Amino acid sequence: MRFVRSLLLVAAFAILATGCAFSRGTLGDDIKTDAVGSIKKGTTTKTEVITLLGAPDRILQVNGRDLFQYYRYDAKAGSLLLILINFSRLSIKSDDLFVMIDQHGIVEDVISSRRTENLEFRFWPFGD
Amino acid sequence: MARHHSSRCFIFLVVMISMIVQGCNFIRITLNTPLTPEDVTFIIPGQTTLADVVARLGSPDSLTESTTGIVTTYRFLDMKYSRVNFGWLARPWTPVDPDLIFSRTGFGTDALQVLYDSNGIVTQHSFLRHVTDLPFHAYPF
Repeated sequence: MRFVRSLLLVAAFAILATGCAFSRGTLGDDIKTDAVGSIKKGTTTKTEVITLLGAPDRILQVNGRDLFQYYRYDAKAGSLLLILINFSRLSIKSDDLFVMIDQHGIVEDVISSRRTENLEFRFWPFGD
Repeated sequence: MARHHSSRCFIFLVVMISMIVQGCNFIRITLNTPLTPEDVTFIIPGQTTLADVVARLGSPDSLTESTTGIVTTYRFLDMKYSRVNFGWLARPWTPVDPDLIFSRTGFGTDALQVLYDSNGIVTQHSFLRHVTDLPFHAYPF
């Protein structure tokens, strides 16, 4: 009975759905977790940071210290095109890494997180 | 006869509803995870540190300085767009494809700013705007 119901559901979906689309866009290079993990506060130098991660996307000055910012954006879009109605959802998330470097060129703090890991393709625009 | 009439009415109603809702679009765009006041109740000025905030909310989108210390900003967007084309109602009776489109877009842009002192302790935090949960409705008036 459950099989028949599932089959009917699939058939109804196949009839109603005129198309669906998946799109993805990224900006920037992937921030390597291994490279971030190898940066040690108080020992790693500015030169080593650049060797590990490349040139930063932005350099800021915060309280007399250099702040290197690396970022990457990931966007996933899903569209469900039915006969009567269309649903689309685009989700964009970013990974940001901040490396604070003191006046002596030594890493003082590292702030990072990977928000794009949980990014999914979604169609349903309602709810969370 | 009456049964035949009611079934015809039902079919006509279904067709009419299909016509009305055909051309409906619901689109949503989210940038980062929208934050609510409930998500930031853990932030207590004078106690919570930068490390605590980063551990709970992730790294900020921007980090700038103020006269008292650093400022972290978490930006997010929750855009909702809906559109209904009532022109479909007239399509079976006209040689052209008329459009009567109602659409509405709500840009739920907001940001959380957290200010810290020189020791990295939160001094204050606030949302830039107070975006409420935007509805999905196409009526623009």
